[in-house]
Amino acid sequence: MKTPDIDSLKSAWKKEKGFDNLKLSESDIEKFLKRKSRDITQLFKKGLIIDLVLKGLTGISLIGIIILFTGNSNILISMLLVLALILWSIWFQVKMYRNIPSDVSSEPVIRNSLEKRIHFYHENYVKSLYIGALSNALIFVSGSLYYFYFKYGEIRPLDLTDYLVFGGATLIAFIFGAAVNIGQMNFQVKQLESCLQEIDEDSISELTLKEQKNKRRRLLFIMLLALISGLLLLAYLIS
Amino acid sequence: MTQERTDKHFLELLHRHQSILHKICFAYCKSPTDREDLQQEIVLQLWKSYPSFQGKSQFSTWMYRVALNTAINRTTKAGFLTDSSFTPDPSYDPEVDYELSEEIRILHRAIAQLRKVEKAIILLWLEELSYREIAETIGITEKNVSVKIVRAKSRLAEIIKKLQ
Repeated sequence: MKTPDIDSLKSAWKKEKGFDNLKLSESDIEKFLKRKSRDITQLFKKGLIIDLVLKGLTGISLIGIIILFTGNSNILISMLLVLALILWSIWFQVKMYRNIPSDVSSEPVIRNSLEKRIHFYHENYVKSLYIGALSNALIFVSGSLYYFYFKYGEIRPLDLTDYLVFGGATLIAFIFGAAVNIGQMNFQVKQLESCLQEIDEDSISELTLKEQKNKRRRLLFIMLLALISGLLLLAYLIS
Repeated sequence: MTQERTDKHFLELLHRHQSILHKICFAYCKSPTDREDLQQEIVLQLWKSYPSFQGKSQFSTWMYRVALNTAINRTTKAGFLTDSSFTPDPSYDPEVDYELSEEIRILHRAIAQLRKVEKAIILLWLEELSYREIAETIGITEKNVSVKIVRAKSRLAEIIKKLQ
């Protein structure tokens, strides 16, 4: 079969009237303008809002624990430390929310727009996802303390097995939360990365992506280390 | 210009050039639902950025820029219920919705099978934008544009040959 001449299709393309047959009505356009954007930056924002609500609720539940265990100085100190952590996390997430790059329309060059989003995700937003996963761990800690109160009226003496079970479960809650959030976001960001790679094709961009992957691994390690240290400190303070 | 006049002017321009919207949505989406989603996102982005349109370029060129930027930056969610594959559906046929000529219908089916950035470059080339304008839209050099156009055209020719 003969190889088609793409250049000859150019004029046919310009003359083609088929697309004019279906017109969007004014009401269609108005309907579009009323809906919310589903741009990836909107997903970043949505994720942060959900986490802020979760952190706020966890903070309230921890205040409840302080009230229930009035007189227990160990609980008071440890809960105040956790509350301080929650307040710092809220501050961090609000700061992150403000730094989310504005929508596509503000950046007319496709390459810059892709770069801006990918850079924001790897350098900033991924930290937010770890801090977001902290909510899962804190909800579990708070739930366990309520369980102790309603079951025993106090924090019963914990042995090694208890520490392993509760510590392990808190760790799993954190890792699971982080894995789900990061997995979902990575899936989407990879689509942007593949477009950037297509634009650059064999240029330095691939190196940058590798560097970002390494940074991500280092961050995961640091976060895990910080969480384990935090758990050990919490266990020490409560017992 | 008052807000009401700006709104009216925007809607008029959008009406006049909405074939661009359909061409891009056909190139980047497989299903009617997906197409409607992208149409909505493009209209929204056009509306948001309209105040910054200074008329330095033609409205159609500016519209292509914003629309392609939106289409390329659009991502699909991971999940069991969502279609996460990047491969265009070969059975996809724009003739179902539009009365396109045979050659343009095949061209459209072929464009749908290109990679995301290739699609953008070919669409801009078909619209007779200069290499400089294409380079400015994508963010690459003019030389790179010419290389990519040659490559995309040859891929397109191969796909069309298979489709015919």
